[in-house]
Amino acid sequence: MTLQTFQQNALTLHLHDDDAEVRVTWLGRSTSREPAEFIVPVLSRAVELGRSQNKPLVLDFQAMAYMNSSTITPIIRLLGRALRTINTVRVVYRKELKWQELSFTALEVFQTADQRIEIRGV
Amino acid sequence: MDPVLQLSIRPQWDELEHAREQAVSFLRGHDFGEATVNAAEMVVCELIENATKYGSFRESAEPLSIAISVQGSTVTIEVRSPVSSADDEHLARLDRAVQWIRGFQNPFEAYLERLREVSAQSLENRESGLGLVRIAYEGQSILDFFLIDQNVLAVSAVHRGQA
Repeated sequence: MTLQTFQQNALTLHLHDDDAEVRVTWLGRSTSREPAEFIVPVLSRAVELGRSQNKPLVLDFQAMAYMNSSTITPIIRLLGRALRTINTVRVVYRKELKWQELSFTALEVFQTADQRIEIRGV
Repeated sequence: MDPVLQLSIRPQWDELEHAREQAVSFLRGHDFGEATVNAAEMVVCELIENATKYGSFRESAEPLSIAISVQGSTVTIEVRSPVSSADDEHLARLDRAVQWIRGFQNPFEAYLERLREVSAQSLENRESGLGLVRIAYEGQSILDFFLIDQNVLAVSAVHRGQA
């Protein structure tokens, strides 16, 4: 298993790569003016790892306290891209947090019947 | 506890965190539940971000003002920033966005439509236009705006809170 950590201000991204999956764990708060500059390279790397090794990509937001709409944007674009390619993406959030429930249930619009894209509240 | 919190901040990104902390502390002081505090926190941040990005600040000392008022279970958040004129491009875009949101039966439908549009855009695209519709849907707030003396824009969001 490999683990890389990326940090910008109050946002930390852990990129795990093991036999079963590629996982990006999000922690803290994302409030930067241009968060995509930090997020997109990490997500692109994770997508490429998943694609090249044919493993699902898991985006785990359970430990996120807040994110601005500029942070949500690249996540949505990644899901849109995944819909058009062969990537399997699972988004995991904490459904007991009202803001996470509202924010992530809306992403079910990208969910596919074959679970290639899955939005899961835990 | 005072029913109104008035803040005046410089239009700089690093001021946002300070305003957010004060807003959250004010709302907790009014015994709102976490769902309302989180929703209002997001609304405050998105409105300040928009005002900081698109306000026509002529000098760095020119402030951006925020008022958060509580009346019963209703929280009203208003952010004021300068505009260059009544035909300011930001103002026109804001008007289109608010009218567009009002054209939907409910904000959730507007949010889903915007998500679909954003998902088709390039990862490198910097604009999303997601902030206002997120305020309406996730912030469960009614958006409005008006001009004061042709050069100050006041954008408000009214949220019905829960204890």
